[in-house]
Amino acid sequence: MPGVLELDVLGADGPYRAHRRTPVTDVAGRQSAELSLAPGLLVHRALAALRAASAPPADRRAAALREAGRRFAGEVVAGLSVEEYEHRTSRVSGLPITTVRSAVRALALAADLAHRTARDGKPRAATENWKEPLPGGRGAVWIRRGEVLCVNAPGNHPAVHAGWLEALALGYRVAVRPSRREPFTLHRLVSALRASGFRDDEVMLLPTEHAVAQDLVRGADLALVYGGDDAVLRHHGDPRVLTQGPGRSKILLHGGDWQAGLDTVVDSVVAEGGAACVNATAVFVDGDPAPVAEAIAERLSGLRGLPPEDDKARLPVYPTAAARALEAKFAASVGDARPWLGGEGIVEELGDGSAALRPSVVEVPHAYAPQTAVELPYPCVWVAPWSADEGSGPLKNTLVLTAIGCPERLLGQLVAEPSIKNVYMGRHPTHHHFPGVPHDGYLTDFLMRGKGIIQG
Amino acid sequence: MSTARESVLDLPVDEVPDPEEFIQAAMGWHFGRETGSPFWLERARSLDFDPRRDVRTFDDLALFPNVTGELRDVRAADLVPRGYGDRPRIVGFYESGGTTGAPKRVPLLADWVERIVAWNARNMDLRGDPQGVDWLALVPTGPHMFGELVRRQALLRGGVAFTVDMDPRWVKKCLAAGRTEEAGRYADHLVEQAAFVLETQQIGVLAATPPLLERMARDERLVALINEKVKTIMWSGVHMDPDTRHLLRTQVFPGIGIHGGYGSTTMLGGVDERAGLPDEAPCVVDPYSPYITFSVVNPETGRPVGYGERGQVQLNHLSKSMLLPHNLERDLATRVRQPGNQIGDSLSDIAPAAVFDDQVVAEGVY
Repeated sequence: MPGVLELDVLGADGPYRAHRRTPVTDVAGRQSAELSLAPGLLVHRALAALRAASAPPADRRAAALREAGRRFAGEVVAGLSVEEYEHRTSRVSGLPITTVRSAVRALALAADLAHRTARDGKPRAATENWKEPLPGGRGAVWIRRGEVLCVNAPGNHPAVHAGWLEALALGYRVAVRPSRREPFTLHRLVSALRASGFRDDEVMLLPTEHAVAQDLVRGADLALVYGGDDAVLRHHGDPRVLTQGPGRSKILLHGGDWQAGLDTVVDSVVAEGGAACVNATAVFVDGDPAPVAEAIAERLSGLRGLPPEDDKARLPVYPTAAARALEAKFAASVGDARPWLGGEGIVEELGDGSAALRPSVVEVPHAYAPQTAVELPYPCVWVAPWSADEGSGPLKNTLVLTAIGCPERLLGQLVAEPSIKNVYMGRHPTHHHFPGVPHDGYLTDFLMRGKGIIQG
Repeated sequence: MSTARESVLDLPVDEVPDPEEFIQAAMGWHFGRETGSPFWLERARSLDFDPRRDVRTFDDLALFPNVTGELRDVRAADLVPRGYGDRPRIVGFYESGGTTGAPKRVPLLADWVERIVAWNARNMDLRGDPQGVDWLALVPTGPHMFGELVRRQALLRGGVAFTVDMDPRWVKKCLAAGRTEEAGRYADHLVEQAAFVLETQQIGVLAATPPLLERMARDERLVALINEKVKTIMWSGVHMDPDTRHLLRTQVFPGIGIHGGYGSTTMLGGVDERAGLPDEAPCVVDPYSPYITFSVVNPETGRPVGYGERGQVQLNHLSKSMLLPHNLERDLATRVRQPGNQIGDSLSDIAPAAVFDDQVVAEGVY
């Protein structure tokens, strides 16, 4: 599919093509698009327009979200068919095209349900409409903590953009800053939202340079910021910013029967190209980790690199230089641990300037080995021993923890541990997601609050 | 003391000298034992050419080494040509922003400042800018030349410039240390002072650096005041990106003439945006030939790039008061054919040399 696409800023006055544009290149270094970058002044005017707009009526929001999901997954949006969008996204992100396709379905479903799921976290006693009579005329109304939300979005996986749709459902006006690596998904999503009933001053796509991104975060009422540990640290303690950092998802294989959990482990490591925050980063084995690492390695050793747009591709693909940099990062992390797979190198060049990253499986000596926190964007898993007296300690700081074969008392501890965001009990892969299961707590814990009222 | 040959250095403002005659006269002046500055007479001893014999054309100026780094240490008085006599009319010693270490110093002599200010004023006439109005200037003051030049431009055109104290070095220090919020607070402090002037005075011309102009453009109340009162906005000092320029011209201040300039301490002034450019066109500045002239060169080879190509800006200042040839600036620009019978190039899309893009490799999962 030839041709360099123009991805415009979607600002307050419709599409805006800037002089300053940055190339969006595929994994082989070929240009796929150029992305207009909004200058700081445009960002400030856009924020002012978002602030000046009032929240659209709830029924329009719900209908527009449903319609946008349908268009996103099924129609030509901003001149691009679904197939061409998926192909380009796969080529620039390096994610297997099947992963992109399932992300499209996930996004459409999230848009369809956003109006409902956004209310899963609503306090039962609160009302959304302050005119609605409360029992005894007393109670709470559920209100937005602000009016304008900025999303500093990642480019690692299209499905992560499902999160902020709930903010639109709740009446926030939203400005999204896409990553320069993969801006197609958000350009398509915002275009679909605008084609479906959201106005130009209600949802915007504001690609910017790094320096301007800070203006965006500061200028909005609230910000949702995706990034690494550095971004999490930078915004630590700022009540206006919710950070979404590395997932460091984990699996605990409890009891002796680890074989029963092997399929779940393999799936959790390799699904989604291993590039999502919900992919398993570490596996903890109640007992000897060596046979588990060996078995995982055996299951993953047959995977071969293919161009990402190939229906059979499973591994993520990067520009060769980026792949080599990740390989070096992996090698530096291994230290004196024992690699069962990938120790000889993980880069498989595809001959066109791109390279697939093959899985790596490494056994680490103890449950607190620092490698278990090293999350790399390809199928990479650290296998550690764990024993009952260590309890939840080494399992902390986890987006999704799949606990297989765990006794009830331990499950209770894991559920009680605040730094573990999700506990999947039994053989559920860490990347599985179901509407109604919050991703990282309810987003509304951040977006909304209860206000006490007495009526009349 | 003035000879016929030197008189070409003293032509009236509206009379354009023959470039080669001018260059040769300037060499004679700056390297004459009786007329040259102590700095250049001393410096000439270590040149491997004789400026009076070998520098005859614009291209020959490239024989000179770039001496601007020496302006950090040399005694400013030693830069004044002896030919001005015992009591030269020195307006002041002015300093650069100090972006790259200790500041550079130059003397500003009255004959030159009168010439450049008159030329800037004539360019304003060509654009149809208003006469007899007061100005508001948010530009570097104190040791910096910019504030002084703006003050004189306003006076020459029958107005008075209100100024706001501005120390660009503090801003640079904040930014270099990553204290962007502090730099922002300082900018707000400046804009707040500008607001008092705009509210109470009849301001017809606003001169500001691009970051401050942009900050004012974020404030709806100030935008309304400016649109109500101001007829002409002039920006200079640092570059303005084409997208911001376009937004300012078309959306924020649509009825106001917005004109850029390109100046620096080592230019001893600044040149102006070409008059009459449409909103869609990039900002082009023309030289003040033969006094302030430009070349656009490949930074690797030092050779000129083709027209329409980007390269590094190399500038020459050549006047009776000062000789600063072959000065490689940190800026990049597109080489544009200069209009008429001038020497050197015109410039468009001037931007700082280093613009970094974020890279994928180090991003990790995100």
